[in-house]
Amino acid sequence: MKLTIFDKENWKEIATTLSRNKTRTFLTGFGIFWGVAMLTLLMGGASGGGGLLRRNFAGFATNSGAIIPNPTTIPYAGYQKGRVWSLNISDVEILRESFPAMKAIIPTYQKWDSNFKRGKYSYTGQVIGAGPDYTDIVTPKYYSGRFINDADESQERRVAAIGKNVASQLFPGDPSPLGKYIDVNGISYSVIGVIGDSSEMKLNGSMDEAVIIPASTFRRSNGYGDKVDYIMLVAKGNNDLGEQIEKMKRMIYRRHSIHPNDNGAIWDINIAEQFKQVETLFTGIDILALFIGLSTLLAGIIGIGNIMWVIVKERTQEIGIRRAIGAKPKDIIVQVLSEGAALTIIAGLAGMIFAVLILGVMQHINNPPDAVSVAQFQMTFSEAVGILATFTVLGILAGLIPSIKAMRIKPIEAINSK
Amino acid sequence: MDNMIELRDINKTYPGAVPLHVLKGINLDVRKGELVSIMGASGSGKSTLLNILGILDNYDSGEYRLNGTLIKDLSENKSAEFRNKMIGFVFQSFNLINYKDAMENVALPLFYQGVSRKKRNALAMEQLDKMGLADWAHHLPSEMSGGQKQRVAIARAMITNPDIILADEPTGALDSKTSADVMEIFRKLNEDEGKTIVIVTHDPGVAEQTDRLIRISDGLIVPDNKVVIPEEQEVTKTPNS
Repeated sequence: MKLTIFDKENWKEIATTLSRNKTRTFLTGFGIFWGVAMLTLLMGGASGGGGLLRRNFAGFATNSGAIIPNPTTIPYAGYQKGRVWSLNISDVEILRESFPAMKAIIPTYQKWDSNFKRGKYSYTGQVIGAGPDYTDIVTPKYYSGRFINDADESQERRVAAIGKNVASQLFPGDPSPLGKYIDVNGISYSVIGVIGDSSEMKLNGSMDEAVIIPASTFRRSNGYGDKVDYIMLVAKGNNDLGEQIEKMKRMIYRRHSIHPNDNGAIWDINIAEQFKQVETLFTGIDILALFIGLSTLLAGIIGIGNIMWVIVKERTQEIGIRRAIGAKPKDIIVQVLSEGAALTIIAGLAGMIFAVLILGVMQHINNPPDAVSVAQFQMTFSEAVGILATFTVLGILAGLIPSIKAMRIKPIEAINSK
Repeated sequence: MDNMIELRDINKTYPGAVPLHVLKGINLDVRKGELVSIMGASGSGKSTLLNILGILDNYDSGEYRLNGTLIKDLSENKSAEFRNKMIGFVFQSFNLINYKDAMENVALPLFYQGVSRKKRNALAMEQLDKMGLADWAHHLPSEMSGGQKQRVAIARAMITNPDIILADEPTGALDSKTSADVMEIFRKLNEDEGKTIVIVTHDPGVAEQTDRLIRISDGLIVPDNKVVIPEEQEVTKTPNS
């Protein structure tokens, strides 16, 4: 038995029925068109907007933080409060041994208002002393050369990765300052790289305006001994950084004879915590977009159901005639359903194409070639197929109730109606 | 067995606050190849009888055999299939589908049999040609006269080569000249193709052109077919068995 749905007659009938009342068909179709367009635009917009916000965090480890020593606030173990203490290299070594959940524990040094000179050129910026693992927190953008490496650190080499603004001031018109020397606070360093910010997130000021030298070299040239300015932290994967920081603080307090409840003796920064809040906001926006979009689509679907009901009413007599000459219930249901489905699919596809074109323009405008990350406005193929399947199924369901009601009328009553 | 229609003690009651006993034990045989007419006043049960004959309605008790097949308690699917294959309907108001042309209307019963478009259109053209309407194949019903529309309807009824043609007041909406033409077609189908035809009518002129007149009154068949005198209704009260 051939299925009547595939017969050309069926499609011809659908076209005839839908074109018989063009205004009504258009308005009903517009409900679906708008619903699908809204859903698609909102989903794409939420995704793209999230992408734009996330761009601020690109190139920056979000599960990161820092611990910075401060004077004590509680007297303890014979010490007065207000004691100035500092972190040291053995703290770092013990922490590295005791905290396997941490990806990086980075002793960091910083000196603001430093003088950089080369011949008659000079520039004022900050010097950062850091090891190679500094890049675990911030990914620099490389204009040329490289960052500090393990050998630089272990051999206390006098090398410097310089910010791009520093480079352009000290080496005007020179595209390759690599291997040349600059003077930092009176000591000469060889340039190994020109770097800059890759992220909107700036840590310790802009990398464009800094000179970065090995941490070991910084300690020696500034007479730090084994002292550490502060420690930067990156946790592995999704490990809870806050929890790790609490444990680290307890260990450090013990080592430095600080009262266990002295909350002021270490200032800790937890970026993961802040980032989590932003992520929650993104999720909220996504859910809201989906909800509004689906509601709009649902309203359109209900419109389809309504119109199918009207069409069935109008055609009661015709349905009666068809049944008298041998149409089975399923033939009639297929006919009514395929009309609703055809209208839904055509209007829905139009809505989707419309929305995708707009999203395409948004995608283009918001993603200039030098953007550090892509803000994804455009639907993925599977999302589009998902939406398509949703409104097709709903469109078919919308016609189901009217068509079943149509079957409840006896053929002979249907013929005699009118 | 040469009966096309056998009705045995058919009863039908419409339920309601006051149940309406419409058919009160109908017994009727129509032989194969017979052209019969059914007459009766409105409310006599004539329409209900036709609906039962056409498998458009069911009955409460009794037996209805159509060409030897018992038609009783059928599912909607089975009813549709039997209507499609065994019965050709012709209605007073033609009941053509107004947005389909003559050929498509005629071909429609075959659409529900799953016959391919090409084949059913060819068969429809054949039927239309028999009705002298080949030139009107691609006209919509609204572009045709009443007589033409009824001929399209007859072509549609004939296309599945059914066991019987059931015509409900087929000339009710036509003038006398056209009525005569339509009756001529029925007679020809009956004589040339041996088609069994049942015509419900209130027009004695139409009834006269049939082999046999069946009268129905107050839910029962009036026994003597040709002589109808009001007093004879007494006879209907004698038991049937």
